[in-house]
Amino acid sequence: MTQLTGLLNSKKFTSLLHSKRFYFIMLGLAFIAVLPMFIGSEYVIGEVLAPMIIFAIYASSWNLLAYSGQGSLGHAAFLGIGGFASALLAIKLGVPPIVGLFVGGLFSAGIGLLIGLACVRLKAWFLAMVTFGFSVIALTLISQFDSVIGGIMGFATPLIVPRGIPFYYFTFAIAATSILVIYLVMKSKLGLAFKAIRENELEAKMTGINTGKYRLIAFVLSTFFAGIAGGLYAESIRYIQVSIFDPYYSFLPLMIAVIGGLGTIEGPLIGSVIIVSIDAYLPRIDPFLQGLMGPLFPAVSNVGPPIRMMMLGVILLLVVIFAPKGITSLINKTYAYLRRDKKEVKP
Amino acid sequence: MITPSGLAETLLWGVANGCIYILLAAGLSIIFGVMKLVNFAHGQLLMIGAYLAFTASVVLGLNAYLSILVAMGGVALIGLGVERFTFRKVLGTDKLNEIFVSLGLIYIFENAAVLLWGNKSAQIASPLHGLLSLGGISISYDRIAAMGIVIVILLSIIFLMKKTKIGLAMRATSQKSDATQLMGINIEKVYIFTFALGAALAGAAGALYGIIFPFSPALGALPTIKAFAIIILGGLGSIPGAVVGGLLYGIAENTAGYVLGGIWPDAIAFVLLIVVLVIKPTGIFGGKGD
Amino acid sequence: MQTKMLVAIIAIAIIVVAAGVGTWQLTQQPSTSPSPSPTSTPTASATSTPSPDARPIKIGLVAGYQIAEGQDMDRAAKLAVEEINAAGGVYVAAWNTKVPIELVIADTGKDTAGETVGPVTRAVTEDNVDLLIGGYTSAGTLADQVVAIENRVPYIITGASSNLVTRRGPQGNFGGLPADDARRYDDAEGMSYMFHYCTTTADYSKTVVNFFAQTMKPLLDSTYGFDASRPLRLAVIYRNDAFGNGVLADTKNLIQANNLPVEVVVERPYQTTATSFQTDLTVVKDAKPDAVYVVDFIANTAEIIREGQKDVGLNTVYIAVECCEDPQLYTLLGEYGGGVLLESKFAPYAGPPFYMQSIETYVTNYQAANAGKIPGMMGADTYDAFFIAKAAIEQAGTVDKAAVRTAIEQINIPQMLIMTQTGTVQFSTSTNYHEIAPITFVEQFTYNATLQEARPQIVYPATVPGIGTLKQADFVLPTGYQPGSP
Repeated sequence: MTQLTGLLNSKKFTSLLHSKRFYFIMLGLAFIAVLPMFIGSEYVIGEVLAPMIIFAIYASSWNLLAYSGQGSLGHAAFLGIGGFASALLAIKLGVPPIVGLFVGGLFSAGIGLLIGLACVRLKAWFLAMVTFGFSVIALTLISQFDSVIGGIMGFATPLIVPRGIPFYYFTFAIAATSILVIYLVMKSKLGLAFKAIRENELEAKMTGINTGKYRLIAFVLSTFFAGIAGGLYAESIRYIQVSIFDPYYSFLPLMIAVIGGLGTIEGPLIGSVIIVSIDAYLPRIDPFLQGLMGPLFPAVSNVGPPIRMMMLGVILLLVVIFAPKGITSLINKTYAYLRRDKKEVKP
Repeated sequence: MITPSGLAETLLWGVANGCIYILLAAGLSIIFGVMKLVNFAHGQLLMIGAYLAFTASVVLGLNAYLSILVAMGGVALIGLGVERFTFRKVLGTDKLNEIFVSLGLIYIFENAAVLLWGNKSAQIASPLHGLLSLGGISISYDRIAAMGIVIVILLSIIFLMKKTKIGLAMRATSQKSDATQLMGINIEKVYIFTFALGAALAGAAGALYGIIFPFSPALGALPTIKAFAIIILGGLGSIPGAVVGGLLYGIAENTAGYVLGGIWPDAIAFVLLIVVLVIKPTGIFGGKGD
Repeated sequence: MQTKMLVAIIAIAIIVVAAGVGTWQLTQQPSTSPSPSPTSTPTASATSTPSPDARPIKIGLVAGYQIAEGQDMDRAAKLAVEEINAAGGVYVAAWNTKVPIELVIADTGKDTAGETVGPVTRAVTEDNVDLLIGGYTSAGTLADQVVAIENRVPYIITGASSNLVTRRGPQGNFGGLPADDARRYDDAEGMSYMFHYCTTTADYSKTVVNFFAQTMKPLLDSTYGFDASRPLRLAVIYRNDAFGNGVLADTKNLIQANNLPVEVVVERPYQTTATSFQTDLTVVKDAKPDAVYVVDFIANTAEIIREGQKDVGLNTVYIAVECCEDPQLYTLLGEYGGGVLLESKFAPYAGPPFYMQSIETYVTNYQAANAGKIPGMMGADTYDAFFIAKAAIEQAGTVDKAAVRTAIEQINIPQMLIMTQTGTVQFSTSTNYHEIAPITFVEQFTYNATLQEARPQIVYPATVPGIGTLKQADFVLPTGYQPGSP
């Protein structure tokens, strides 16, 4: 508690209060809070907005790791471990689901610590590969112990809070807290050390930073939040199965963070909104695409899904080639451009 | 129940399976060696290669083994376009951008294949039949042919790298690209050639894969990761490393399947990778990390 | 600073109030959506003018478009809807008119649990479908059916080999699931909206083990002079997922429960990502089985059967299950298809004369609409389900979901593409599960050198009560067959 008040009184936090960003953040939070009142749809709240918030946590956790110059291609392992651990704790041991959620996160962080310890000497690609390998190993272990876990067929996850609006606010509260913590970490001395390691590990070492320790801290923090996101995700689809270890879920946070803007706090949030919206709403154009191009490709019954996924691929390429710093950079540029106009008008 | 002949057979098949990995990994390794680039869509090139060979053998009635040439040529051409219009734009920027371009390419290739060939599995009909039995150990002629082809291709690549001008330029570029440019080597040409060569190897691997296994558009993801694990195991950018890594990987997979059970091959291969990296963080043949 | 504090306080106040109001709104609502009131009696039934309420009937198709089977379902569904609409549509008595069917697609990608819930929720709550048809993987369906259960939408499940999709409720003849099972769904009324129009792992296995006990074992005994007390040695090689594990468990249970002369000598699971199987097949070969039960989908099944003969030299009887019933398998097996067995319930080339006649129209129309593609089994189930839906709505005379549910429960129409034991489509009417009793059979392939593909013929069972002769040819041991150890 003292730590928390210390944090709140800290310079970083007061400077946050004084920055212009503060208005945007508060406005954003208020906007997210009132959103469900204007959207009566169960689908939009439960299947679009809630996943957006959950994947924002997940991508932010990955983003924090990238912030320290480490890349993971197997974050699905931690999403899955968090999901399975929290669900199993509640079902098998009768732990209250909300406690299970956090214990699941801690469990994921514990495994993250072990992996981090093993990989502390590894760099870039090597680490990426080891994490990917770990997600495959995790999948195999869950399958091996299927008689206890039941992950192959999967099972329904216990309810933390009622579905719909309460679940929405619950994920919102967890996301706001998680992302605030990640933000404070990034802006703290710890974050400075991460940044130094990312820029140049050798130099960081020479200035007396214990790079191994800081990299480990980043890894553990990141896997903790990934585990929390996993618990929430399993909760949001009400069912958990080994498919949560699919490489798709490992690439997802990367896609979200990079589309939004890597290394920024708002990047994963914007990226999550974009990716989840594409997932949820782009299928609407399938009938149109089928009508337009269906006869050209008799090999598939509906050209909609492959064509729209090809479009997603093209969008990814365009973003990375023309806006390599993500959508955030585009917004910032536009904002700077507009302000420049104003300044020019004044005199 | 583990029998000596079963184990011997398992090792042999490990080598046979390793061969296709080696071809895929060698392509990835050449590209990495020269361009310091990892193309995560390499497995999708393999898949496209398999489909091109399939189409050549069905539509043109080509012999399955001749269709390998079609696959190599076709995928090399695709490689040219990919290098020119995507990777070149992000080369030298953040490493993550390369993964990101690859992700985009994965989406494009997989779904283009779905549109053109559908989601169903296909297989290239082989002209070879039957299996060779030697004292309780048997292996099909297709596997033997595949091993032979891989050896021939690898030898030609080594010849190309050691004895030709372009090979020299590639090796020079892999050492230090700034100096190379000063020496008057057109680095863009070297890059585009390298990438096309790597892609052609993926195409050949695809055709061989398609002769031995059924394939579908979703095939690509796992082979890429395996190939990447192999070049990491062997050491990034080293062709002998890719060969040793590929064999080790194939043998580890098959032995694990035989001894521990069918659900273990993938996991054990990665356990091997992790153990190697923890002991030697740059891989078996790796010099310095990148 | 003060304005900032003010903004902060206002924002926080909004958040708190919003959260409070939201929660309050929710507690005011009944926890489940209100069950629809009984159909309002059609007013002035004698009028011949269509009701102004008349609208197309929306049927949601739950199919994974990234898998070949999902596309087969899509093609079959479109065909069914076209045929129904071309014949005028569905007569709804309450509206006093015929209305067309509108197909609403819920694309579930690869049909894993993570992908199915979103699209199905959209179909149910946004598009307000009257009925759902489809579902492919067991786990994906167990996840997405919850949406239909909660919203009381009738769901005719045409995939999902696990019988839990209709039996995970709290009670029933088969006991439902124990209270501590995480898959149990405590909503008997909601569960009654689930209908399973597909064979289950238990159905497949029953046909397979009975075939071995009744047909293959006597043949082995007479051919090789085995003692009658020697059980048939069966190897099971299966993908390590819900489907594979389910088939294995049911096979063993059936052998034990019926005391059949079949012994499972080796069980070999492998990871679902596996692409080559020599080591698994070597282990199987070392166990010296009389027959190998291959439990996987099309591509792997074909590869296992090929590798078994081509690489490992395991020349035995291979049997696969009906989810491989797709012309793709015939092509992939090629010359290695000779003598291979397939348990099935729909085959575009195989069946007794009366049956071939009834499916011929379907196969012809399907091919005409889809550039000559041959239909598979998943599509056949789906096609039938649309006609079941049509019959049920016409019988109910309304699109009210509770009434339609009751109508499906009581449905009794002649069998269509899928043969049933009674010759009619009827769901078992117990409180919390609705299944059909399809007839499943065993086909044996012969290799057709001109087509370069395998072609099936039914070899078991010989006759079915109420249907007549099913068998087209006798089961024969493949050329080069080697029996297991004596």
